[in-house]
Amino acid sequence: MDWDQFDLNPKVIAALKKADIKSIKEILNLSGADLQRLMKLSSADIQCLLKTVSHTLRRNSMLTALQLYQDADHLTSQHQKLSLGCSVLDNLLKGGIPLVGITELAGESSAGKTQIGLQLCLCVQYPYKYGGLESGAVYICTEDVFPSKRLQQLIDQQHKLRADVPAEIIQKTKFGNSIFVEHAADLDTFHNCITRRISLLLTRGMVRLVVIDSIAALFRCEFGVSDSVMKARYLQTFGAQLHSLSTRFRTPIMCINQVTDAVSESEAAQCSCSVVDNRVSPALGITWANQLLMRLMVSRTSQPEQASGVASHHTGSVRTLRVVFAPHLPPSSCYYTVKLEGVKGIK
Amino acid sequence: MQREVGSLPLAPALRARLVAAGFQTAQELLETGPCGLSKEIGISKEEALEALQVVRQACHGEAARTAGASGATRKCTALELLEEEQAQGFIITFCSALDNILGGGVQLTKITEICGAPGVGKTQLCMQLAVDVQIPECFGGVAGEAVFIDTEGSFMVDRVVDIATACVQHCQLIAEAHQEEDHLKALETFSLESILSHIYYFRCRDYIELLAQVYLLPDFLSEHSKVRLVVVDGIAFPFRHDFEDLSLRTRLLNGLAQQLIIIANDHKSAVVLTNQMTTRIGQSQSTLVPALGESWGHAATVRLIFHWDNSQRLATLYKSPSQKESTIPYHITSHGFRDVQPPAVTQNAEDTEMNPRKRPRREEET
Repeated sequence: MDWDQFDLNPKVIAALKKADIKSIKEILNLSGADLQRLMKLSSADIQCLLKTVSHTLRRNSMLTALQLYQDADHLTSQHQKLSLGCSVLDNLLKGGIPLVGITELAGESSAGKTQIGLQLCLCVQYPYKYGGLESGAVYICTEDVFPSKRLQQLIDQQHKLRADVPAEIIQKTKFGNSIFVEHAADLDTFHNCITRRISLLLTRGMVRLVVIDSIAALFRCEFGVSDSVMKARYLQTFGAQLHSLSTRFRTPIMCINQVTDAVSESEAAQCSCSVVDNRVSPALGITWANQLLMRLMVSRTSQPEQASGVASHHTGSVRTLRVVFAPHLPPSSCYYTVKLEGVKGIK
Repeated sequence: MQREVGSLPLAPALRARLVAAGFQTAQELLETGPCGLSKEIGISKEEALEALQVVRQACHGEAARTAGASGATRKCTALELLEEEQAQGFIITFCSALDNILGGGVQLTKITEICGAPGVGKTQLCMQLAVDVQIPECFGGVAGEAVFIDTEGSFMVDRVVDIATACVQHCQLIAEAHQEEDHLKALETFSLESILSHIYYFRCRDYIELLAQVYLLPDFLSEHSKVRLVVVDGIAFPFRHDFEDLSLRTRLLNGLAQQLIIIANDHKSAVVLTNQMTTRIGQSQSTLVPALGESWGHAATVRLIFHWDNSQRLATLYKSPSQKESTIPYHITSHGFRDVQPPAVTQNAEDTEMNPRKRPRREEET
């Protein structure tokens, strides 16, 4: 850090250099009294120093809610969302997935989690006008191999799913070319993947979506009951890393999660899923839930009579997409099916 | 002028030298003069001059303050304090049950901490308060402004718009029902735009940015003197990862709490923090407790814990200097943070909406 560039009294700058303080972080990590002792300065000087470095760090970062609402700054816009490629599902989520934050999609196996993940990888490549972000996606597989056959199928059927998009746009987009697939079967590979490889792709602007399928698989085998502290630390580190990637590049992060059977009702309540009927809760517990912006759950609809009216018109079984929590959405749900051309909501 | 050397705002090393050299009061220093001082304790003349300047300023400032009848340490009786606190008013939450257990609402000049599992409604209450703090005085509000420091990125402006619109409508209904002149006049300026433009939003991405922001807050609050609420949504998030050294974390958190208390007191504003929950594994079973450890528990004056009971949201007042511990249910509706409507009244929900709940409190205050 070049202290000479700061608007500080030369005496303070000299003291900083003498005390061997190298970064703003170091200054803010010390208390005022510590700084006084280390730099041999009076409290007034230290106050001035703290304010100056804080100001350098924060610049003019204040926004009013009105500015946010009116989209004064493109970089902080909250109106832009990533569409799911289906108007019914987009309506449920008021436009789609928010660009900043970690969105979790939890559900039992065969509920359609991977299908939604794949569909998002295609949706992100559409122009802004059609709910996309005009960029590619990274798909991190941690358990299975990447379902490339299904992806090809989806690409071939895009014109059926996205009737709203002109055919030439669909034809022009080389969907397969901008989906980057990573395989990370253990924690170290995964850590390396999210800290190095993905930030490289994001910096180059080649991707605007990260799908992790699934986050729970990494933790399910490696940790016993006794390692819960270690596990929590890993989860927090990953959460923080993904968060900072998401904020820095305004890139939605979609984490697919598995579910576990809730042992007791209170446990289900802890994870804030007020679903008593099917008694499952997302895996990885509250430590992981704390990292999330919003949580979605998918399930196969168990009662056929409830959905029989709609199911008769559609091939394939009916599933439910539910908003468990989100700062901007009420707890709500809608039905959807997985068809050859992709995931579609039912009104 | 009889101020002791030890209490002067000088560098600690310099203070130690002055004491060692036998100086006791500021008077003695000033009489010695810069040349004498530099010889006496072995510092350069510039340094001595500067030190004396500081001493003179400090003594002068003190003299001015004692003349203004409010000394450096303010003395007042408990009765005066009580009267002051009662005159301050509260930020109502729009959930009368929660207001009741808090003793009227979120208190100004105090730190209130909201703990809870994700999705239980911590951020919702924060957004609700950021709107409610702006309710005009004639409607029972404090007519303030709000600072919202967001560390998690969960401040959704569309949701604030919903809450603010509902709040404006509520006030309009009161005004229509009572047709009082001050109500109508207040409503002229109380609109969605004015509410949104008086929520000052800061996004902090890590704990360093948060610390820096809190150092800058006093100046910001002096410039915006109407701010009556400072929200830090997510005190826990930046402090719960990448800390190898937990003693550093405790120290930083304590420092932060201290600064927030000073801000709350100096600027007569309420400080609201949200905290995450974590699992504590006990001998027989595990329980959910607020994160950041035992010592952080002392930081807040009032601590609320939000939790689920099946599908019902509950709020428990866990720590408070004046109210007893109790639990109440609440709802989060499309309008914001609300009471659970008693079942008998649900069929004419329109009526309950019209019925201004905070009307009686307004009369108490005036």
